[in-house]
Amino acid sequence: MLEGRIQNKKYISKGPDETKDIGYRLGKKLRPGDAVGLYGELGSGKTTMVKGIARALGIEEIDIMSASFTIITEYDSDPPFSHIDLYRIEKDSELDEVGFWEHIGGSGISVIEWAEKAENMLPENLIRVGLTSVGEEIREITIEGRDEKDWNSL
Amino acid sequence: MLVLGIDTSCDDTSASIVENATRIISNIISNQTDIHKKYGGIVPELASRRHIEMILPVVDEALKTASVKFDELSGVAVCHGPGLIGSLLVGCSFAKALCYSKKIPLVAVNHLEGHIFSTFLEEPRPSFPFLALIVSGGHTCLYRVDDFGRYRELGRTRDDAAGEAYDKVSKLLGLGYPGGPIIENYAREGNPKAIDFPRAYLPESFDFSFSGLKTAVLNFLKKEVKLQAMESQYINPPLPPFTKGGHGGITNSELRTPNSKLLNDIAASFQKSIVDVLVRKTEWAIKKEHIRRVVLSGGVAANSELRKRMKEMGDEREAEIFIPSVLLCTDNAAMIAAAGYHHLKAGNIAGLDLNPKAYMPLL
Repeated sequence: MLEGRIQNKKYISKGPDETKDIGYRLGKKLRPGDAVGLYGELGSGKTTMVKGIARALGIEEIDIMSASFTIITEYDSDPPFSHIDLYRIEKDSELDEVGFWEHIGGSGISVIEWAEKAENMLPENLIRVGLTSVGEEIREITIEGRDEKDWNSL
Repeated sequence: MLVLGIDTSCDDTSASIVENATRIISNIISNQTDIHKKYGGIVPELASRRHIEMILPVVDEALKTASVKFDELSGVAVCHGPGLIGSLLVGCSFAKALCYSKKIPLVAVNHLEGHIFSTFLEEPRPSFPFLALIVSGGHTCLYRVDDFGRYRELGRTRDDAAGEAYDKVSKLLGLGYPGGPIIENYAREGNPKAIDFPRAYLPESFDFSFSGLKTAVLNFLKKEVKLQAMESQYINPPLPPFTKGGHGGITNSELRTPNSKLLNDIAASFQKSIVDVLVRKTEWAIKKEHIRRVVLSGGVAANSELRKRMKEMGDEREAEIFIPSVLLCTDNAAMIAAAGYHHLKAGNIAGLDLNPKAYMPLL
């Protein structure tokens, strides 16, 4: 969990556009095989951030919508991109049912919303992004994991 | 021409026999028959295993109810997306095996196309062109439909689908799933003008956005809970962020407002926000496209407030509003068979290498 650990870099986003921008710059540093976990309550800007990350991979923003319904949405980008949303997942066994593991690692890049729902099963090298509402529009964004120095100057 | 339709895109397993895309001979939906009592039992919502258990008995029931044999079928139409990939796979694999062994042509139908063509299963039927607003738990899309296969997307949601907003707000209020009928029920007793929740009209486009509304409800609840916590020590204050309520637990988003009048008012005000946007944007599309026929379908089209308000708008604008009966608005295989008929006629036969996809825009 993010709580209690040294947080390498803290960004302050003043609104959805800035959250997308931080996502875009994070997305530019991602490599095939990377998995990013997004932590934050409803309305903290998780899907907004996915829009930014996906744009860095050449996917249009309008094509990224909430994935709560389909749980996994896969895009034929290069590298392939999987937008995963575990909001509706109740049990570990459901991760198998929805084909979760086929999208983690490998040659693609995946972003997982509500990553806490699979917390004890996620890969060691998961990049963790925490989004916290500190005002109506303002969000505090922390990034940690993998090569932490990478996140110092997005 | 008889077509067997199969839909396993989400929670329900469904099979249907439809004649000429217009006459339903049978329409079996797993959760609305007692079949699952015989075979299923309680299984997880998302389990594709449940589809595996249900697909045979449901298809069997569809054929029996219709008194139709395999060799009388002109084709099998299966939904290949969008939806849950594990669930879609069951329907597609079953349909492919069936078509291979019985030598029946296979056609693949987009779920959204199915929703559009559900309107042809009942009188009165619209003539082309018409506007189609598809609103469900997974989709909120507005199309211009000029003919079978000739669609233009005018707008879609940029974030949450309308039905998803219902589900998420219902969960925030501690009211359970599915959110649509639950919220609608509470809303009946509430004052829709009690709380002024935002409406994202996005006037520059026909796109929708319901994510901000969900956040506004959350923020409202947080303030309310704080207020109540000051007044009463019996109410739990919100949990700090990143607190895990056990595996699969939600953080501080699960708040409860025990005051039922307030619950009713929140439900009614939230619903008004959603319905206002859906109706207003449809009205704009009528004006801009100069089309006075509108089809409303998808699970959220089962909402009686939306049905009523859309019809009232139609009366004002002298536009015809076509809304299928509730059973045909929600997921069903008859609509897949209806759209499949047109694919069969057009010769769009699918290969046995057909693969479903979770994300599949209509065009």
